[in-house]
Amino acid sequence: MGLDAERANATMSGMTDDPVADMLIRVAAQDRAAFRALYSAASAKLMGVCLRILGNRAEAEEALQEVFTRVWVNAARFDAGKARGMTWLISIARNHAIDRLRSRPATMADEDALQSVADPQPRAETVLAARGEARRIAACLDTLDPDRSAAVKGAYLDGLSYQELAERFAVPLNTMRTWLRRSLLSLKECMDG
Amino acid sequence: MSDADDPQAPEGDDMLAAEYVLGTLPLPERLAVQRRLRNDDAFAARVAAWEDRLAALNDSYAEAPAPDLLPAIEARLFGVAPRRPSRLRLWLGALGGAVVALALVAIVLVSVPLPQGPTYVATLTATDQAVVFKAGYDPATETLTLTRTAGPGPAAGHDYQLWSIGADGVPKPLGLVSAPQDSQHVPGLAPGIVLAVSVEPAGGSPNGKPTQALAAGPITAL
Repeated sequence: MGLDAERANATMSGMTDDPVADMLIRVAAQDRAAFRALYSAASAKLMGVCLRILGNRAEAEEALQEVFTRVWVNAARFDAGKARGMTWLISIARNHAIDRLRSRPATMADEDALQSVADPQPRAETVLAARGEARRIAACLDTLDPDRSAAVKGAYLDGLSYQELAERFAVPLNTMRTWLRRSLLSLKECMDG
Repeated sequence: MSDADDPQAPEGDDMLAAEYVLGTLPLPERLAVQRRLRNDDAFAARVAAWEDRLAALNDSYAEAPAPDLLPAIEARLFGVAPRRPSRLRLWLGALGGAVVALALVAIVLVSVPLPQGPTYVATLTATDQAVVFKAGYDPATETLTLTRTAGPGPAAGHDYQLWSIGADGVPKPLGLVSAPQDSQHVPGLAPGIVLAVSVEPAGGSPNGKPTQALAAGPITAL
């Protein structure tokens, strides 16, 4: 390892490694300027999450307001030793968007499922290859049957329910549930092993 | 597979955590998981481990420009709409140190959890966004305030009615909410319960069940 690489590693392990985490720590101390900076740094990514899951801009904006409200209130629960800042923020956004999705009246949820099937939104999954851990989950997803790998991504990224996934892949609901459970177990084995 | 099917086995817990993070659970199960996360550290650690395993998929979320929602968010959090900090600074400069001291007191006051006012909130939306209700609930006074923030009131001969849906999934009728804003006394609301609004014949549901679902959203703690 060259000197430059060593110096880079030393910098990486320092405070500036995760700027979003640094902002969250300041937000936990009720720093409103840090809260505004966090909005600038993270709102586009979190809007992307809400928009992809909820499928319409107006509701995604509603959701984003609630997500940042929760971030302010719950920032003290963030533990920089356990999660990266952006990962923690995205968990809050995904959970809130999926809660909204699941609480929609049932008939409307169906129409929405059709919409998201009709609009598969090709994504730059190749970006995944750029990072080590990302390469690992990408490699592990590749060990799954392509349909099952697509079902895992559809559930995680688009918030599709078992019902919607079952319709999309034309299998009974229980079969879909079994597919996904087995896929999750395989992924765990692949990633932890 | 047999272990994962058995909710008593530790693998059942791990599968529940995995399905929660994957997002596929129906709402009542999701809300049950969220309640459990508050005081079951071992289970919370399982959820965190799954969040970590699947986090690399987050790279696939494309960024989408968000409008500046900060004024609305800050108004909700801090009770005032802190427009244009430059103007605020101007005021503070003009009025001197006493005001700065007062403002500091005010910031300290709003920074600690307020003893009164809503601590639970919900946003009730229809999929097409035609109608949106915002709810605030103060558990101390058991007062629920519902405000229609978008969309029209009920058509002639109809009323909007509010419902609460708990873990049993059965809608319990609350009051009519046809007015733009309405407060009512409702004991026992808590995070995890879903609030829903239905369209009913004038006077409310004739049979104790919602006639036509309009909007819904879960109660969450601020």
